[in-house]
Amino acid sequence: MTEKGPNTIIGRFRSIAENSHEYAKSLKKKGQLLAGYMCTHVPEEILYAAGIVPVRILSSHESQAMTRGYIHETYCSFSHDCAYQTLKGNFDYLDLIVTSSSCIHMGEAFNTSVRFAGFQEKSYLIQYPHIIHTKPAGEFMTESFRQFKEFIEKFIGTPITDEKIEKAIKVYNTNRRLLKRLWEFLGSDKPPVTGPEVAAVTLASQMMDKQECNEMLEQLIKKLEAEPGKAPSEVRLMVTGGACDDLGIFDLIENLSYSTSLIFIDSCTAARYFWFEIPEDKPDKLKALAEGYISKIPCPAKDNVPGTGEKKRFRFIQQFIEDFKPDGTIFLYQRFCSPQPMDVVALKPVFDKLGIPSIELELDTTIPITQFRTQLDAFIEIIKGVHLE
Amino acid sequence: MAYNITTWKDIKNYQTACYRGYLFASEGLRCMGSTWSPLAPLKGLGEDIHLIGGEPHSASAAGTFPEETRENIIAAETAGLGFHSCSYLKLFVGEVVRDKIGITDGTIKEGFPKPDVIWTTHLCSQHSKWYQEVSRRMGGVPLYAIDMVGGGNAEKDPKIVNYVSNQIEAGIDWLERVTGREFNDELFAKAVRNEIKVLVLWGNICALNMHSPAPLDERRLIALFPPAVVDRTTDESVQLYETLFKEVKKMVETGESVAPDQRFRIVYFGIAHTYGHPEMARILRDVGAEIVASVYTFGTCGNFKGIVNGEWTWEPIDPQWVDELDLSTRRKAITELAKIVLGWPTWQGVRSYWALESMARAMVAEYKADGLLLAPSRSCETDFRNGYIAMQRIFKDKIPTIEYDTDQVDVRKMDLPGAQRKTELFVQLMEAHKKGGGDK
Repeated sequence: MTEKGPNTIIGRFRSIAENSHEYAKSLKKKGQLLAGYMCTHVPEEILYAAGIVPVRILSSHESQAMTRGYIHETYCSFSHDCAYQTLKGNFDYLDLIVTSSSCIHMGEAFNTSVRFAGFQEKSYLIQYPHIIHTKPAGEFMTESFRQFKEFIEKFIGTPITDEKIEKAIKVYNTNRRLLKRLWEFLGSDKPPVTGPEVAAVTLASQMMDKQECNEMLEQLIKKLEAEPGKAPSEVRLMVTGGACDDLGIFDLIENLSYSTSLIFIDSCTAARYFWFEIPEDKPDKLKALAEGYISKIPCPAKDNVPGTGEKKRFRFIQQFIEDFKPDGTIFLYQRFCSPQPMDVVALKPVFDKLGIPSIELELDTTIPITQFRTQLDAFIEIIKGVHLE
Repeated sequence: MAYNITTWKDIKNYQTACYRGYLFASEGLRCMGSTWSPLAPLKGLGEDIHLIGGEPHSASAAGTFPEETRENIIAAETAGLGFHSCSYLKLFVGEVVRDKIGITDGTIKEGFPKPDVIWTTHLCSQHSKWYQEVSRRMGGVPLYAIDMVGGGNAEKDPKIVNYVSNQIEAGIDWLERVTGREFNDELFAKAVRNEIKVLVLWGNICALNMHSPAPLDERRLIALFPPAVVDRTTDESVQLYETLFKEVKKMVETGESVAPDQRFRIVYFGIAHTYGHPEMARILRDVGAEIVASVYTFGTCGNFKGIVNGEWTWEPIDPQWVDELDLSTRRKAITELAKIVLGWPTWQGVRSYWALESMARAMVAEYKADGLLLAPSRSCETDFRNGYIAMQRIFKDKIPTIEYDTDQVDVRKMDLPGAQRKTELFVQLMEAHKKGGGDK
């Protein structure tokens, strides 16, 4: 076996993240069934147990106007971009597309794909609770997962056994643990890996066959554990927000006029994707899946604890602050996202109280790098207490 | 000659009395939340419950106080809410930020009364977040949101009915805990029957518009359904809608209408838009065109037979069916309530495009439409654009169909001149179509 250095492995991950269609098509060439999923609330384990590799449908960052005829312009650019890709035929190699009832914007991207991009006969919408913190929600999810499993069984023409689901749960849990280990490096004094690198690996993992991904992650972590690490940067920055698959913004955060480190990303394309586990070896596999998915860091669209109205995600964020010790926070979300800014309004006072400055950046199809750089440089000056003469 | 609805004044007075109750009550419980919630559980807490619902309050406040509305929306944006966010939400939060509230009788009260509980639903990505924000700004009001995972034929899906029922049942326990009041099942069952009755009666009133001439026009429909949204659980509300139903039935028998000149019958899909709607109505009325059916005015607070044999119908439910419902236990009452609420047409379209299309086909056929007017709202994310695109495709060879963008209460987001020109074009298309030579 060829010796692989961390940069080479990371390079491979980044290449998959940036060329996901090529990667998926290479699997397809080998006869692999592929299912595109539009939301991280889809229980990938059921697909994987059926021998189907789940591939996350993400955006292309191409400027386009095609979707304006299908989706309101006041829907986020991420949903537009995902719908654009299916309309354009970029995902024609998929055998199936799946989503769960989550945010309305991505629901619209799914509807557009189903109705107008030829996925009418090969799609499935998982009924998923919008408020996930209740006992009835758990029961509802279990039943929804059962219906989804039955659909997939019909689709592949074979029953999905408990053994196969258990195996998939273990593969996915391993993946989650490995990703978590990777992210934990960023909390150390001398991280041997950077935030943008970790973001790229995490993004790639959402499109990969998890067995292959796990093997690469194990090699990477082994190498990183042997690395001496780098001296800490002056300013540690945390990102919290919504889906962001544009790695350019993370690169920018570490390439400002000042020495900065990206040390954590709370988003559904980063930590919220994997920061949970499914209970293993439980007699009812679907109930175990529901239990696991309920324990996820909640998506803002689903975060409302009945009785108090509490946003449970804030508890996780406070824990991340404690563990990763950011000097500043960037609220990063898609322009026109509905739930994210509603959370920012409530979250900002939490950061203020902790003395952690914050800034809001809205993402669009393409990133205005120059403007963002100016804004972020100014933000770092605020954090560092730099005063212009 | 145009007919004047005699029940009108009583209905509007009822609506105002509900709001005044919330504003000025010195006793009892104040309850806030989406009126897209099952309301009867709140009435199990006693006979002194004062309600304020977000959407109808915002809609009526916008109609009553246009200038205040703009100030409220701007106040909410200044407080951090996005330009694109739901404008009902922003108007409401803006009132909380400015700490003043205006109601339908023209009263503006300084000091937005803090609710004792927030009882609401969650459906779109902003629905329950609206009240999370209000709760936070008011210092932490106890909040319970019911997840309405409906869509399609949700009310006939035991899994969904059971899920919503379980949440309501747990919510009743919660209401007892946070208010310290004992839940009265008798009051609850009575409120459930009233709530269902009003929803069914409104469905029956709307269905009378299948007749020609349609007895009611959109302007009257928009004004007559909000009291049912505000509080549909009382004996008084049932009596009002029974009286209105009798009156409108009589109108049909005598061939009368509030807008008798109906050369063109229009079906409307979209939320009522406070600023533009009267302008469009004037253009239509000038040529004898009337909106006779609208999924918003019919379906926000009304029930119909819904999906029967896989296809939607706007046929009404026999009101007598309500009298015969078995509500003898709390669970039975909850289940019937969950089913009726899940059966609202507005839910169906939000989560299910095929139901939306089926509703549109049925409405155009059953109300014998000459034209289809589509007016998606720019700040309501459940007002799906691709649903409207699909409707245009479905009807392009059948009847004239026009779409213009609106916003429910934010005048800044509406292209009023453009919408007017499109409406004028729509009228001409219907005219040409009627003569047999129009390009649809």
